[in-house]
Parts: sequence; C-alpha cells; structure tokens
Amino acid sequence: MAIAVIICCYHKIRLCFTYNLIFFALLLFSGCTKKSSAINIIWVNERPSALAIPRDLPGDVTVSPENIIVRMESKNPVAMLGNYTFDDDHVIFEPLIPFTRGLRYEILVNGVIAGKVDIPEADAADSPLLLNIYPTQDTVPENLLKIYLHFSKPMREGVSAQHITVIKNNTDTLQGTFLDLQPELWNEDRTMLTLWLDPGRIKRDLIPNKISGTPLQNGNHYTLIIADRWTDTQGLSLTKPFKKEFTAATRDSESPDPKSWTLNKPVSPTDPLVVIFNSPLDYSLMMSTLLVHDGNTSIAGRWEPGAKEKSIKFIPGENWIAGNYTLRIETRLEDLAGNNINRLFDRTIKHAGDTVSAVEIISIPFTVTPQ
Amino acid sequence: MKKNTGFLLTAVAIGIVVMAFNYRSGNSAYGLTIGTPDVKSITSLAFGPEGILFIGDSKSATVFAVDTKDKTTVDKAAAIDLKGVDQKIASILGTTPDKITIQDMAVNPLSKKIYVAVQYSDGTPVLLTIEGEKIQAVSLKDVAFSSIALNNPPAEDAKDQRGRSLRVSTISDLAYADGNVMVSGLSNQEFSSTFRSMTFPFTNKQDAASLEIYHAAHGQYETASPIKTFTTATINNKKYLIASYTCTPLVLFPLDELKPGTHVKGRTVAEMGSGNQPLDMITMNTNGKSFLIMANSNRPVFRVNFKNIEAFQGSLSTPVEENFATEGVAFVNMPLTNVLQLDKMDDNRMVLLQRKANGSLDLWTTDNAQWLLQ
Repeated sequence: MAIAVIICCYHKIRLCFTYNLIFFALLLFSGCTKKSSAINIIWVNERPSALAIPRDLPGDVTVSPENIIVRMESKNPVAMLGNYTFDDDHVIFEPLIPFTRGLRYEILVNGVIAGKVDIPEADAADSPLLLNIYPTQDTVPENLLKIYLHFSKPMREGVSAQHITVIKNNTDTLQGTFLDLQPELWNEDRTMLTLWLDPGRIKRDLIPNKISGTPLQNGNHYTLIIADRWTDTQGLSLTKPFKKEFTAATRDSESPDPKSWTLNKPVSPTDPLVVIFNSPLDYSLMMSTLLVHDGNTSIAGRWEPGAKEKSIKFIPGENWIAGNYTLRIETRLEDLAGNNINRLFDRTIKHAGDTVSAVEIISIPFTVTPQ
Repeated sequence: MKKNTGFLLTAVAIGIVVMAFNYRSGNSAYGLTIGTPDVKSITSLAFGPEGILFIGDSKSATVFAVDTKDKTTVDKAAAIDLKGVDQKIASILGTTPDKITIQDMAVNPLSKKIYVAVQYSDGTPVLLTIEGEKIQAVSLKDVAFSSIALNNPPAEDAKDQRGRSLRVSTISDLAYADGNVMVSGLSNQEFSSTFRSMTFPFTNKQDAASLEIYHAAHGQYETASPIKTFTTATINNKKYLIASYTCTPLVLFPLDELKPGTHVKGRTVAEMGSGNQPLDMITMNTNGKSFLIMANSNRPVFRVNFKNIEAFQGSLSTPVEENFATEGVAFVNMPLTNVLQLDKMDDNRMVLLQRKANGSLDLWTTDNAQWLLQ
C-alpha cells in the first residue's frame, strides 16, 4: 500500500482529459525524466483536480478500466463519480469536483485497497482578509439599503447568513437584518458580496415594515461582525473576525443631485479631477457609473473613491490636454438608501399618472486649462 | 512515406466527415450544435420541450439550452424517499455534506428523472440526475447545446482597472412556457428587477421588460421590487406571470403585456407575511383543481387555489391593518416546513427537498400525501 502526499511529477502522460490538465501535464512532462511508481496529485489552478495512478502497482497489480475505483475514506465509502482515462503507464482519475483538502482517498483495484492519498491542507499563509466594508462611514441613514463586503480572495458562496451578525447597542443580536438571497449577489471573481438590508422592512407601509420596522433605527448603535469561520474557495478561513461599528441617523429621502456637486478641475496636466458629492454615494455604483469624455470619446483612466464615499477622484491615463470635457453620470447611480438620480427608492405618488424621468445620462461640462 | 501521407489524408477526411455528422447531429430543430458549453455555475434549472434542459448560469450571466436526450416518456416514476440526500451526494462526489450546496432541481416532465444542480465549496458546478436511489452524473461534454448571454451592458458600462465589469446580473429564476424562456435577474449594484422573455430557439433578439409594482398598502408609495421566483398560469383564459418578490407579495402580470422596453405594473394579489423569503413556486393541476404551491424560507409551504386568484379582482391598495400578518387572496399553510426546493413530479405528486426536524436533508415524493393537493 502506497501513501502519497504531494508528488510533483509523473512520466509520459499522453492522455486527454481537460484542456487545463493537458496544459499542466505538459508542464510536468517537460520537467520529468524519471518514471515514478507513486500515485500523484495533479494540481490545476491550485486545486487538487485529478490523480495519476501508475498502471503497474507493487505486487504485480495491473490497473485496467474495469478494475479500478477511487473513493473517499469513510465509514460507508462509495465509488466517486468522475472520468478515468488510460495510457500505457497511467490511469488518470478526474473527479467531478476537486478532491477536498484534508481528506484521505482510497484507490481500489480488484476490490482491494492499492493505495491511499492524503490531500494536504491549504497553506494558512494564503488565508483571506476582509479588505473593506462599504459604506466606510460610521453614520448611515436608517434606511441604508446595501452593504458591500470586499475580500482579498474569492470566498465560498451561499453561506453569508451563517457568518454575519448584527448587534444593536452592544446587547441585542438582530435577526432578519439582511435578505438571505440564494444565489447571493457576488461580483464576477467572488471577492465582493452585496448584502441587501431587508427591503420589505425599509419600504414604508409594507407588512414587514409595519410589523418589524426598519432594520436600522435612528439613534441606535450597531456592530456588524463577520465571523472568522467563513472560508474562501480553497477552504481557508478568514484570518480573524472583522467588525464595523456604526450609528443610524435620520432617513435619507432625497435623490443624489449632480447639480449640487463640486468639480475640482485639474490645474496641472497630471492633477486628478475631483468630484465632491453633496452626500455619500453607493460605493459600487459610484465606481461604475461615471465617465470623463473628450468630445464623444471616453478618456482612459482610473477612479479612486474619496473618504467616506463623499467624493471620487479621476486619474487620467495620460496627461490632460487643454480643452473641453464632460463628466457623464449614469442616472442609475444611487445613494446609501437606494435613491437614484431619477427616482427615490420609496417614492410618494402625488398625482395619478405621475412619472419619473427616463433620462439615462446626465452630463456636466468642464474645461481644463493646465498650467 | 507517400502511403503514410495518403493514409493520413484519408484519416483526416474521415475525421472531417465524422465531425460534420456530429455537428449536424446537434438538434437542428432548436438550433443546437455539438460542443461543450462553458458552464461556470448552475443556479437555475428548467425543462423545455423534448428533454431540452435550460441551465441558468449566474456567474457568466448566460442561459444554456442542453439536449439531455432524456426523452423516454415515463407515466409514473417510482416513488423517491432519499434520506440524507446531501450525505449521499457528497459521498459520491468524494467530499463532506458541508462542502456542497444544492442550488436547484427540476423534474424532466418526460422521463420524470430529477435533475439536481450542486455546487462545491470552491464554486465548481455539478449536474446530477436522481432516479429512485440512483445518483448519476450528467456530462456536459460534447452535447447538443445553444446559449444566450443575458448581460447587455450599456455601452458605457464601466470597468475597474483590471478591465472586468463590476456589474453582474444574477439569475433569480428561470422558466419555459409556450416557446419562451423567461428569466428574472437581480443586480449586484442597483436595486432593480430585470425580467427577460426570450424566444426559443434562441435568436439575437431579447425582449426585456422592466417590471414595476405597487406593493400592498401602497396607495401612496411606489418601489422597485426585484423578482425572486415566478411561474406561469392561465387564469380566466388569460396567461399570467405569477411572481413573488423578495418581500413575498404575490403579483400577477399579464404575459401579453410584457413587451420589450415597457414598464408593466403588476397587480398585487397577496402579501404573505414578514421576515420571509419565497424560495420556489410551481403550479399543480390535480383532481380538477389548480393550485399555486410556494416554498418559503421562514414559513410553511403555501397553497393558493387559482379559483381564489380568479375571484380576486382587486389589488391591494388600502392601508394594512396593524394586526394583520397577511393580506389579499386566501391561502392555506400546508403542513410542510423547511422545504428548500420543490417541483412537479406528475399531476398528483410533488417532489420536495426538505430539511427535516432531525436535521436530515431528505428528497421525497408525496406519494402517500396526496391529501396535500385536495
């Protein structure tokens, strides 16, 4: 019986299983000259994605498509689902999902255990961090709609409700603050999660609002706690629990108004354009809905949020050239309470047939005269 | 050498013919071609005609149509009573139950096989079938498929410094009816509801309608309300989309009013309480009665008789009485709690994924509980 932990390479893989594995196998093949009789773990994108099992195992055991099974070691083990591919020297077993770190797997040939493989734990030095919680300010309107959690690594999806707690005035653990949405609202690389505070409780006169009130209430202090049990996609936990303290203030019932914003125009060719808002705005939307145009073309550059999301800075990719520019703002931009430029989150209907603006872009012209 | 070259050319020619045959052998009636769909996540499942499975992929904001070739009609499938189904699925995948999530399930209306979407903790999606006690993998390699991308980012959709779009549309539900695939989506940025109705076979044209509703007791207020789950039904000979929102009002939209670019105001027919999330919704027609069945996060399964919806001509627009927890069309609390997924097995039976009081996650058909639908 051979127990393999991590073995870096194996010989003569000519099998075709997945695109990534082929790439990886070629990489290994180029560095290997010695034939190995061990069972090897094949890593793809840092995931233990397959096993390479020699066809000739000790004891004159020859592996064939008909006589091999891979299974997780457990009280009631069952054969794992996956694909077996063969060449003269190896059997490659690629399970439907990567092997789980910290578990042991058994390879059976003719019903007899021919080898075991321990999948190593991930390196704790790679543990994820919670980089930021938005909004960053410590006073929010009581009708705050969204909180963003920004992590350093892709996190496990679907489990946020198990790891997020809100405590009111250092005493009461709140229930039902956030919507437990499935699927959760992650960005593309699974590093930023959008949490919605229960909109049914924020909307005036809806039954949840009538019965439970808004999730946050004016004048109260709150602590948001993110538990360190939350793991990333590699199974590593957060390095520590994270906390954010904040206080709820009065309801925000006004839409963001670009007309009231201040533009600090660049003075030198390398200066940023600084846009100062009249109130804090939604972090993710403010990073997505603004563009600087030169005539009809947008200018390359990057946006940096200002302190407490009360301003934003545009740093152009190339030096400013004297001329006329336009700051273009998508009207879907929201403040912390979900009020966008065109309409309030919770709009009072004043008259029958009352409508909201359908304008999608608002433009603010400005001139640059760098010295 | 010449002989070898000739042999090689012959082999290549045969290969091309075989490939061409395979290409054609995709389901041309539905515009499918053979290949391996790049499915990054499986968040919603729904069956279409002739064993076509629609896969909602939130991660890539795409709907895939896959020919399962699972078309053998089974009138009455064997009963299912799989206790600890998460344990069984985890074992066969080679991991522990805490590392997997059952994302959705759908019954093939022809074969009555249950298709289950599972996600591993690292995000890897898996598609399985369950038939009786048997759990099998569904390979998506070299299948007949087509796809349609849902993200129609505005021309000015901004990206961060690494060039990725910050805006992601998550698929909250997916259904097929009368030649159309309908998809409801949530945004990770703005609080909005996107509802798309697309003809199948897919074309480049998407009919997207932004839906608006007045909530119950909203004679004075109007709010955007993203759809969490929905189904379709015919009420008074008119076809409707029946949607439930993140705060559980039940809303009707006439299907023929969902036109591209229109803002349709739905009619709220019921509010269903506080602190609750709608999870899944199906229509059952049994013993001459039609029911809407709805699973909830924090309530038992609801059953609404479509006759009551037909009879309810009003829309909730008056203030809610303080001591009322629910409002509108009458519904029945079924004696089924912690139901996470449900689907129609056949006219008389549902299949439920339920977390039982003892903690076990069980998959079972309502063979001995037909009184639930009477």
